Amino acid sequence: MADTLFIGLSLASILLLVALGLSIIFGSMGVINMAHGELAMIGAYTAVLSGIYLHLNLIAAIPLAFLVTAGVGWLIERLVIRHLYKRIMDTLLATWGIALLLQQAIRLQFGATFFGVNIPGLGTGLQNVSLPAFFQQSWKIGDFVIQPYRSFIILVTIALAVATWALLYKTRWGIQVRAIMRNPEMAAACGIDVRKVSSMTFAYGSGLAGVAGVLLAGFKTVSPEMGATLVVDGFMVVVVGGVGSLVGTAAAAGILGEINGIVSLVSNDILARAVVLALVIGVIMWKPTGLFNFKGR
Amino acid sequence: MTFSRRQFLKTGSALGAGALSAPFLGSRAFAAGTIDVGVLFSATGGLSIIEDSMQKATLMAIEEINAAGGVNGMQVKPVIEDGASDPKTFNEKASKLVLQDRVPAVFGCYTSASRKAVLPVFEKRKNLLFYPTYYEGSECSKNVVYTGSAPNQQLDVFIPWIIKTLGKKKFFIVGSNYIYPREMSKVCKILIEQNGAEWVADEYLELGHSEWGAMVSKIKDSGCDVVLSNVVGDSVVAFYREFKNQGLDHATLPICASVTSEIEIAAMGPEYAAGSYTSFPYFQSIDTPENQTFVENYRKFTNDPKAVTHFAMMSCYMQVYLWKLAAEKAAATEPKAIIGAIGGVEFDAPVGKVKVDPDNLHLYLTPRIAQWQADGQSKIVDAAPAPIKPLPYSAYGETAENLFCTGSGLDSTKL
Amino acid sequence: MKLRLTTRGALEAAAYGTFILVILLLPTVADVFWLNRFAKYLVYGMLGIAVALSWGYAGVLNLGQGLFFGLGAYMVAMTLKLQSETSMQQGADTPIPDFMAWNSQPGALKDLCCIAPGSWLWIPFQSQAFGIAMVLLVPTAVAFLIGWSIFRLRISGVFISIITLALVLLVRLLIVDWQPVTNGFNGLTDLGWLTFGGFEFDPYVVPTYYLVAFGTVAVLLLTRLLVATRAGLVLQATRDDANRARYLGYDVARYQVFFFTVSGLIAGIAGAFYVIASEFASPTFLDLTFSVSMVVWAAVGGRNSLLGACIGAILINTIQATVSESEMLAEAWKAIIGLIFVLVVLFLPRGIAGLARDIAMRLAALLGRGTPAAQPLQKSE
Repeated sequence: MADTLFIGLSLASILLLVALGLSIIFGSMGVINMAHGELAMIGAYTAVLSGIYLHLNLIAAIPLAFLVTAGVGWLIERLVIRHLYKRIMDTLLATWGIALLLQQAIRLQFGATFFGVNIPGLGTGLQNVSLPAFFQQSWKIGDFVIQPYRSFIILVTIALAVATWALLYKTRWGIQVRAIMRNPEMAAACGIDVRKVSSMTFAYGSGLAGVAGVLLAGFKTVSPEMGATLVVDGFMVVVVGGVGSLVGTAAAAGILGEINGIVSLVSNDILARAVVLALVIGVIMWKPTGLFNFKGR
Repeated sequence: MTFSRRQFLKTGSALGAGALSAPFLGSRAFAAGTIDVGVLFSATGGLSIIEDSMQKATLMAIEEINAAGGVNGMQVKPVIEDGASDPKTFNEKASKLVLQDRVPAVFGCYTSASRKAVLPVFEKRKNLLFYPTYYEGSECSKNVVYTGSAPNQQLDVFIPWIIKTLGKKKFFIVGSNYIYPREMSKVCKILIEQNGAEWVADEYLELGHSEWGAMVSKIKDSGCDVVLSNVVGDSVVAFYREFKNQGLDHATLPICASVTSEIEIAAMGPEYAAGSYTSFPYFQSIDTPENQTFVENYRKFTNDPKAVTHFAMMSCYMQVYLWKLAAEKAAATEPKAIIGAIGGVEFDAPVGKVKVDPDNLHLYLTPRIAQWQADGQSKIVDAAPAPIKPLPYSAYGETAENLFCTGSGLDSTKL
Repeated sequence: MKLRLTTRGALEAAAYGTFILVILLLPTVADVFWLNRFAKYLVYGMLGIAVALSWGYAGVLNLGQGLFFGLGAYMVAMTLKLQSETSMQQGADTPIPDFMAWNSQPGALKDLCCIAPGSWLWIPFQSQAFGIAMVLLVPTAVAFLIGWSIFRLRISGVFISIITLALVLLVRLLIVDWQPVTNGFNGLTDLGWLTFGGFEFDPYVVPTYYLVAFGTVAVLLLTRLLVATRAGLVLQATRDDANRARYLGYDVARYQVFFFTVSGLIAGIAGAFYVIASEFASPTFLDLTFSVSMVVWAAVGGRNSLLGACIGAILINTIQATVSESEMLAEAWKAIIGLIFVLVVLFLPRGIAGLARDIAMRLAALLGRGTPAAQPLQKSE
């Protein structure tokens, strides 16, 4: 039983990790960022490259990846998203294009292949990020097996969620973000620099994606396409949880993760996936604004 | 890929041989002492992680052949198309190669889904596909030369060996949810029962799935003593990692895989696979001069001193040579002539001596079993004494004495 | 005012006329390969129309249009599979497709009725007429059910996108998993050719091109007429302000359901034509990437214009093919396509159709047939 719950919890933590950044960006800015998975991919590649060239291990790569992807996110916001705030649905298309660009940039090693140069760590193939030996062990307490790496992911996810909550509810920036969320014009009228806050928000959400990418790199492969499927799951979690609600996102991740874990143990993984998809459809039908929505619309 | 493409352009223009004829203008085969052949792999999309190396191996073989004087005195010019990991694109590009470029042969496709999508083009337009991947069998096309292995060439030696040599009795069968793993599992079950062992579970995960927590936990609780993996693609990496992270050990509960190759091992980190087994005809560690030269040349060709070689890409390399030998035997390159001549053609490939079976146009191959080592390379622990005849319908009772697929086509009443 | 409208009307008629003429005259210049390729692109054009109808006219961003495409494709592929002599296991009363023989459990009765649970569903598809009827019926019924559920519940905006997205992934999962009946991931191949009155529609002959071309023209014109009806106007009013339309006494959901269903039907027909042109059906038709691509085509072409979305789809696919087949740009083609999307969204919010309309109006104005200042800019959303 404890095993089952733990598996569900680790599934949930991955979902939340991916959804957290999306939740901030989508919830506060309404931007549907289809390149979110690719930002995670950039984060994973930061871990790969810093392992090869800077000899950093996975944990040390986390802050670096946060900075790199936050930077990329900031650029995306300045160059593209900024011009689309009045046409929010179009952000979906533009970021889809950006996702293709980012994938191809990694695959072509930022153009180096055109000059016959081969940069180890980039390119089409699969990359390997090795885990510190500590994470490769496992401890047994009775029948229950503790996996250090899974536990680490869960802890980091919780820490990030709490930090994000604190940022949104305990800082000046957070108040500004939430003001913009409610009413951007009014916020601007009150003297909030909407543009600056928005680009910071986008950069922060992107940075979270980068951290997710590094942690994902520890248990799955790193390749230019690794992010493509992430955004769908993340998006579902955000919508089920209720747009703009951090608590909702966390709760939705928890529920979907646990259900996925339980069904796949009792039955099989295929059915579990089907159940989760059906559940997402059902929840939206039943409560179109999501499970936890405090936003008056 | 870029590197080699550029090299080809150079070689092409040095020879002054139609290198300027852009493919979309409809270049003709047989023009000015060159012959166009199609090369169709995914350079983009999820499958490019594997297919990129297969394309490189194909191009390397073509380059070697050109350097050695070409085919029947003609230089070979590859027309490269990108299947983009999408069967729709594969279908469209195949029809472009066959109908517009009029190439007499296409080397390409990795997944069965892409092969199935291009098959109508090759069969109805009487062209020729060289398909390099180990696959599920159950196909008897006279317009395809299958240079990967059929299920019987991977499992006939492997399963009895697991039961007799490793002494394992309870199999947990796990695979990606599509045709190949399901067919492999069917053949496995027959062999497991024939050899007096049993299987406790037969489970599937979505292709590309990377969340293995629940499955590995099931494996732990199932009471099995060996895991038979037909998992493909990058799911493999997540599987082996989760396996070790949950405290399982290949020494007591080994993963025996039908598809885990050097490329996945390198991507997961060798420490996760050390001690597990794979059955393939080809491993990078095969200790023959042909293979050593091949590995060395490939690393030079790709400009990557750490590049690994694996079975499917070796088949890509080998099949270009088989085509060349058939073209020389027939003194022609038309698809029909090649199909007529290629049966019985033999070649000393990196994998050892191979021969095209005239019955079903698959290859005689030698199954090998290897154990993965801590350095990411394999140690071959057992091998069949001689090449085994390919039987694409072995899951339905096909044997060497009772063939379903012969030179005259498939006898569907036997299915 | 009146003058301007007629100018616009004339320009639009000219655009439609030119497009139809080009399609119908294409066989005089193109070889069979390009005809086949364009037949596929015309199918994509139909998908563009379907997206423009639901997104541009109804304001419903359906990220699961591939569901209807896939359903239409499988319906026709099933019937064509049963027409294919080479892929049938011979010598039985109801011969089974080859893949059923090797996907079945050992010892199962080799008959379409019961070789696998659900395989009896294939039996009526032995009639080609039934298969074609199902192409029209199944996507329509499914679209109606989905539309009815979501619009009755007044679900809107991004939530519809998520529901349709989850649905297409769910159905894809089921098709892949139901391998004994659907051939799973490999899809249906080795199909026969569509046959009408003894004529076989080989995908590489001119009549097959015309079959698809006439289909596209019919879909385009009928849809254009449909949006000009009163119902179409109510729909657009709903898109702009659903509540206001409700105040005016319209049963908004009924209109939305109707047009959502029509959009699904168009996608289903497109799927069937695609199978005829490419000779296979695959669960990848239900990939999310494909459904998003359709939306992108429509956006590039102009989501508020049926013709624009149709041309956008054809154009992007042609560019994609040419770029990926030129030696210089082959490796970078995906990046180039990505860049085009970003630039179009940034600088041509109304797509190619919007640009063309503006240019045409300016030209018309310059020629003195209207006032230069009166440039009817539409709302960009």
